[in-house]
Amino acid sequence: MSLAVAAEGVTRRFGRRWALRGVDLAVPRGAVVALLGANGTGKTTLLRVISTLLRPTAGGVEVLGHALPAGGDEIRTRAAFMTAGGHAYEELTGVENLRFAARMSGTETRDDDLRGALAAVDLGGAADVPVRAWSSGMRKRLELARLGLRPLELVLLDEPFVSLDEDGVGLVHEAVRGWREAGAAVVIASHRVEDATRHADEVVRLAGGRVAAATA
Amino acid sequence: MSALARRAAAILWKDILSETRTRQGFTAMLSFAALVLFMFGFAIGVDNDLLGRLAGGLLWVAIVFTGTLSLGRTFQNEELAGGTHLLRLYPGDVRAIYLGKLAGNLVVLAALEVVLFPAAAILYRVDFAAQAGPLLLVAALGTFGFSVIGTFFSALTVHLRARELLLPLLLFPALVPVVLGSVGATEAFLAGDPLGRAGGWLRLLASYDVILFVVCVWIFPVVLEE
Repeated sequence: MSLAVAAEGVTRRFGRRWALRGVDLAVPRGAVVALLGANGTGKTTLLRVISTLLRPTAGGVEVLGHALPAGGDEIRTRAAFMTAGGHAYEELTGVENLRFAARMSGTETRDDDLRGALAAVDLGGAADVPVRAWSSGMRKRLELARLGLRPLELVLLDEPFVSLDEDGVGLVHEAVRGWREAGAAVVIASHRVEDATRHADEVVRLAGGRVAAATA
Repeated sequence: MSALARRAAAILWKDILSETRTRQGFTAMLSFAALVLFMFGFAIGVDNDLLGRLAGGLLWVAIVFTGTLSLGRTFQNEELAGGTHLLRLYPGDVRAIYLGKLAGNLVVLAALEVVLFPAAAILYRVDFAAQAGPLLLVAALGTFGFSVIGTFFSALTVHLRARELLLPLLLFPALVPVVLGSVGATEAFLAGDPLGRAGGWLRLLASYDVILFVVCVWIFPVVLEE
């Protein structure tokens, strides 16, 4: 089976602190991988490396058949990363935030498509309200809507369940199922073990910047 | 429209929309600019001849001081939205980010100058209107050079703790040719350019603008690397 992510000996240092110390990770296409571990074990750093945001200090990473960092642009076209903090502009409404994301991604979308994406995550009523008036859970749902704007082959989710109510958590599970059915690989980094592992084909535990255990 | 231009336009649209929703930043900048113009006027006193001779220099110093406040905010809204680096997650050339932010700064500074030029004309009793065409060219070249380097340094300092201090420290030395050229050309045109010096200042401005633009666009992707 071809791999969506193939990382070998990935090391990343921030000043004197080593965030990753030789991590190997293989994520098959169409698979869901749960990335678990305590705070500061390197989960987010690993996702940032795979997403092309960070260059590894050492080691090799191939994403969707493209080696980093050379293939970064091609990877960004086919992959998406939902960060733990999200990415939303306070003064823009929900629909304007999605319009900006669509334009930046080069996706052709009509106003109805954007409103439909918001309605799909139960934000239809807040589509024209500036995000500054939104709760953190609503902002998380906006992130989900943003990921749904274009077809993806790799989805990286960093703490996707945080701030969400029960229905919101259900929306994340539904989205993960949908991506897997469409053949996309999904990597979920989370502290919520039960939710992160619900659809997981493989569970990878990080400790001290290393892979402590990997179970299929 | 190319993908680069479309993405730059998306950033410009988003920034202008955000700015028009708040207006706090622009209103504060205008107030600051008015204060600077008044302070210069008070410091020099009621000597109208002296004020007239110095008007070009005072105006450009006011533009640079006020514009620096605006430039400092160029990437701040990105940090509030989650981080400037997140813009790199979108596919395509990251230079679109620079071009979009540069266009936004040009719009804000142009809006500022639309108010500052008439205000300076009234306060310092100089007739900018008589040389409107040439002065428009000076303003365009000066503002472009200022924005090009200011947008670049704003990105460079966005993650630094002492960015409010470091931005002017880096920016002002690099701006010397822009300020010299803008002030020199403005004063020459206001005096009717009897010695034909304005052309030289304009050539200096235009050359520096082109060099700055090429260099900043070329190395901007490195600035966004973590």
